[in-house]
Amino acid sequence: MALLELDRLDVGYGTTRVLDRIDLAIDRGEFVALLGSSGCGKTTLLRAIAGFATPSAGAIRVAGRDITRLPPDKRGVALVFQSYALWPHMTIDQNIGYGLKLKRRPREEIAGRVAELSAMLGLAGLGTRKPSQLSGGQRQRVALGRALAIDPQILLLDEPLSSLDARIRQSVRHEIRALQQRLGITAIHVTHDREEAMVMADRIVILDRGRIAQEGTPQEVYNHPASAFVAAFMGAENRLELKGRAVDGHFAIEAGPAHAACAIAVDGRVLAGGTVDARFRAEAACLIADGDGDGDPPAGLDLFGRVEHVTYPGGLWRHAVRVGDTAILVDAARAVAPESRVRVRVPAEALFLFEGRGGDVRDQRVPAPEL
Amino acid sequence: MPTRFLALALVVPALAVIVLLFIVPLAASVVGAFEVGGGYGLGNFTKTFEFYAPDIAFTVLIVALSTGLIGIFAVAIGGYLTLGENPRTVAALRWLYRWPLFIPFIVVGQIFRTFIAKNGPVNNLLVNAGLIAPFDAVSLLDWRGIVLAFVWKQTPFVALLLAGAMASIDRGTIEAARNLGASRLRILMEIVVPQVATTLLVGLILSFVTMMSVLSVPLMINAQSPTMLTVDIAFRINAYGDYGVANALGLVSLLITASVAVIYLRVSMRERT
Repeated sequence: MALLELDRLDVGYGTTRVLDRIDLAIDRGEFVALLGSSGCGKTTLLRAIAGFATPSAGAIRVAGRDITRLPPDKRGVALVFQSYALWPHMTIDQNIGYGLKLKRRPREEIAGRVAELSAMLGLAGLGTRKPSQLSGGQRQRVALGRALAIDPQILLLDEPLSSLDARIRQSVRHEIRALQQRLGITAIHVTHDREEAMVMADRIVILDRGRIAQEGTPQEVYNHPASAFVAAFMGAENRLELKGRAVDGHFAIEAGPAHAACAIAVDGRVLAGGTVDARFRAEAACLIADGDGDGDPPAGLDLFGRVEHVTYPGGLWRHAVRVGDTAILVDAARAVAPESRVRVRVPAEALFLFEGRGGDVRDQRVPAPEL
Repeated sequence: MPTRFLALALVVPALAVIVLLFIVPLAASVVGAFEVGGGYGLGNFTKTFEFYAPDIAFTVLIVALSTGLIGIFAVAIGGYLTLGENPRTVAALRWLYRWPLFIPFIVVGQIFRTFIAKNGPVNNLLVNAGLIAPFDAVSLLDWRGIVLAFVWKQTPFVALLLAGAMASIDRGTIEAARNLGASRLRILMEIVVPQVATTLLVGLILSFVTMMSVLSVPLMINAQSPTMLTVDIAFRINAYGDYGVANALGLVSLLITASVAVIYLRVSMRERT
């Protein structure tokens, strides 16, 4: 049985409904990332689980026990806040030990537990300092220690890495993940950072305007996005409209002014035919300069275009390529000069096709090429 | 050189105002406290402590007690405004509690003089409710009346400062404590008040100094002996034209307020280091 169950959960503020019939089951020891852009309801969902937002309908159950109306401290969950919310007037030891003090544990037991957690989190020797005397990364670990001190069944993390600088964030991701696995604790992590969710979570739940857009392992949501929204959110920002129809297990794409005809395996997708929304990642496509040989790229869709700009974000060269009347981004190991005529080969498995014109995707325009 | 002269010229008006209107009168009254006959001595202070030692103690006790009560009520009001969960009662309290701020001290004195007199509304209410017999009704027009008036008038001021400070602390620090199981009272005393302690202290010290300087309330509510230093100062001047003892009394009350200011400076220095 799942440890945490959300059953048709509705949450709203006033007349606005923030979460709409959320169904989710999380197993013991699982690390789940709630991923979405700002305003999608991910923090509200976390706050509803923690008991700071009241659902208007539905139920929240922990180990089969209904906790929907219980106060925050009776739910067996601990929340790590985005701002850390450490108490500035208390020392690090007092911050970590406060939850146990509230539970009227004996003084020696509190001291022992605080020492144990401090050692585990690399905070030993900082116990008498105030939060303002610590670095961002250390504060983050104090917040984690404070939440873990009460032995929660579920650890809730509200964008815990967003106020750290990029370099530290990388290592803290792995620290939190390693800690979670070592303790075997169930964790729910809210983030808007796709890579963070991919690196840390066993399972990713993508939220879009109060509904679950897709849930699955990082590989599933990355390689098999269920909707144009998820594809765009998972980095498939290049978008084209293609025409085609389904022919025995394949989707036959008609040739257009800037692309060749090809057939893509349907692979479980529901595609009736007509106009489809095609999406792919910049790094998934191959750029072939005119006159160069194929170099044997995998089978897929061929697009014909002209290089407009070339930038170097690091590792690969990023080309803005004009294909017909849309601009796409394509990465390549070698730079191709602007104004060159090129062929872009999108491998079949990297080409995501969706029914319709994808009119509800957050941004219809392809991002302007970075210069 | 001309710019330097210009800079000096720009400062002069402000400086002159401070020197003429603040430093000179203060110095004159401090010097005046030591003037006896034609020379200088401690005669005024001997007289002050001989006649007014009980009034000095009375003043310190009344103002200290009022400050303590103001602190308790201001924390209670600020705490309810910050942590209260019923939006309607919070809104009602927010609307109500500031009223006394806009009422001058003399009017406060007037209100309390009728309100808590031997045959005033408070006693009438208690008698009518059968809680006390008519001949048990006592006038509260003594030290209790002063404390009541002070607390009634100054609590909103401290509560106003405090509620503002409490509203600006990170809500997360309150929710984190709730998440770990702290009751609202514990959150108020252990999480909220420590974070606004400096504001509370500043509010209480400003109130303390204000109450030290109020003449109308003790004059209207408790003109008998012992009374507060402000009444004594006014009496020395109006009845005897005795500026020496009045200045000495003034210096004593200045020292009392200065001692409170020192506490404040110490605390703020400790916080900065």
